[in-house]
Amino acid sequence: MSLITIQNLKVHYPIRSGFWNRVTDEVPAVDGISFAIEAGETYGLVGESGSGKTTTGKSVVGLEKVTSGSILYQGQDITQKANRRRLNYNRDVQMIFQDSLSSLNPRKRIEDIIAEPLRNFEHLSKEDEKLRVLQLLDIVGLDADALYKYPHQFSGGQRQRIGVARAVATNPKLIVADEPVSALDLSVQAQVLNFMKKIQREFGISYLFISHDLGVVRHMCQNIAIMNRGRLVEIGTRDDIYNHPLHIYTKRLLAAIPETNVAQRAAHRASRLAVERIYQEQRAKYYDDDGKAYPLVAVSPTHSVALPAALAHQLAQEEVQREAQA
Amino acid sequence: MAENFNQHSDVSAADLARLSQEAKSEATPSTARIIWDEFKADKPAMVALVIIVGFILFVMIASLFINTPQMMQTDIMNYFDKPGTDGLLLGADSGGRSVAQQLIVGSRNSIGIALGLTAISSTFGICWGLIPGYYSGYIDWGMQRVYDFMMMLPMTMMIIVLVTIIPHYNAITLTLIFSIFYWEGTSRLIRSRTLAESQKDYVAASKTSGTSNLKIIFREIMPNISSLIIVDTTLSFAENIGVETGLSYLGFGLPPQTPSLGTMIANANDPNNITQYWWTWLPAALEIIILCLSISYIGQVIRRAADASQRQGAAD
Repeated sequence: MSLITIQNLKVHYPIRSGFWNRVTDEVPAVDGISFAIEAGETYGLVGESGSGKTTTGKSVVGLEKVTSGSILYQGQDITQKANRRRLNYNRDVQMIFQDSLSSLNPRKRIEDIIAEPLRNFEHLSKEDEKLRVLQLLDIVGLDADALYKYPHQFSGGQRQRIGVARAVATNPKLIVADEPVSALDLSVQAQVLNFMKKIQREFGISYLFISHDLGVVRHMCQNIAIMNRGRLVEIGTRDDIYNHPLHIYTKRLLAAIPETNVAQRAAHRASRLAVERIYQEQRAKYYDDDGKAYPLVAVSPTHSVALPAALAHQLAQEEVQREAQA
Repeated sequence: MAENFNQHSDVSAADLARLSQEAKSEATPSTARIIWDEFKADKPAMVALVIIVGFILFVMIASLFINTPQMMQTDIMNYFDKPGTDGLLLGADSGGRSVAQQLIVGSRNSIGIALGLTAISSTFGICWGLIPGYYSGYIDWGMQRVYDFMMMLPMTMMIIVLVTIIPHYNAITLTLIFSIFYWEGTSRLIRSRTLAESQKDYVAASKTSGTSNLKIIFREIMPNISSLIIVDTTLSFAENIGVETGLSYLGFGLPPQTPSLGTMIANANDPNNITQYWWTWLPAALEIIILCLSISYIGQVIRRAADASQRQGAAD
């Protein structure tokens, strides 16, 4: 059974206007998405800015009010606050935030920041609590002298590791990582990502890894979902997504990964332009009349794509033939 | 659970004392320490602090040795005594009463009212700002309508009416009457900052850490707007000295037989006093100017201490 199952999740924000400030329209930030996260895996959620990735992540930790749909954890729908409280849900599901500075209270010392979930969920004695905080700092590679300092005294990478330590503190089963490294430079990104992988190996944590950086996602995730305008356009394993993309949006995202091979520059540019031309010419084929993605259709046990059934199978056939030739 | 962490970290219970000792030596100084360093770096503010603390202590202690009813008795022999004559340090007023003694008792009354008023109205205003700012929605809507209603009432007129219809009022009832009206500015100011603050990620992080709403409001958000609260409180303390003084000056503050800074400044209502008997009103006026200036200097230092980028004190 999956660790957590998201079923037809919708988060719509109301738009108010007019003299009476009535609800006149809605922004469908997340518009009916379903996927499941297995225990111990890293699930990637990818998409452009404003595609609803973060809203999905916040719904999973219970920070966002869900319009409809359900998120099942241990057979309970945790979109209801009462269920979250009864299960002590946030002890098992924690979050790592994108902006490491604003996610740490600037007026609290590191000890109090990391101990906050411990104080609420596990009532340890003072010594045990301090010992646990010191162990957590050790696990994320910070010295004990960080204990009584304030967040602004640390570098971005160190702060993000403090955020990781806080998320790991209660030994959760799932951590929602909302673009955890997008604000860091490349060397520090690798450092933080390796820490996250190390912690996953040691504690058997699952991640819901939200990112727009496909390189990072390839490094981290076994299963990936591509999100576009509040809907999922493609779900698959790492191999499905990177080597056999079917939806034009996935192809565009992949084409946007920068290539550093100078000798191949012209070829790479040509392939990018080809993808873009297909997108411009055949947009109507890939999206419905409202410009939204179609419902998902399975083309293999692991791989689903949001296209009309006939087109999906046709594209999958072409992909198989292309691979056979190559 | 705990074994899980013990496995993956070299830190064990044996290291606890040594490591927390190490951490203590590297610890950032406490807030009180930072404020004190900031005072040491700013000489005028230090002088202001000494003036305020010294003056308040002097006034509170000295007024214990003054028999107020006896002091307020009219003594025709001392009618408008010049400063220094008949053993009166600052002279006497039209009733022959010692200006110096009235100044001491009057300062205690005025500062006491200002302190009480600041404590009550700021506490209430801060709560009335934090709670709607954090919850927003219906709670915010309801509390803001109460605020709007209070804003609509003409403040000075209401106070004057209340003072006239309450038969036996003294410093305490006067403080309570003022407190009904003076929380409004604070509450709106705090609400606007709380609205911005409660959208920040550390509030979301506290929610996912299982912290209760009330704890988030008063232990997470309030410390983060403390610089605003401190500046607003110090400035409203200076302003509140003026509130009591102003109403007493108009004759609606403390009863006439109770000396206060306001009733002393009211001596300046008489043109004769302004030109010839300046010692009846000038000391009180100077005292208010010095007090308010000193308070704003102190407020500035505390504000700088709260904001690391503005600090002038010893670097940490």
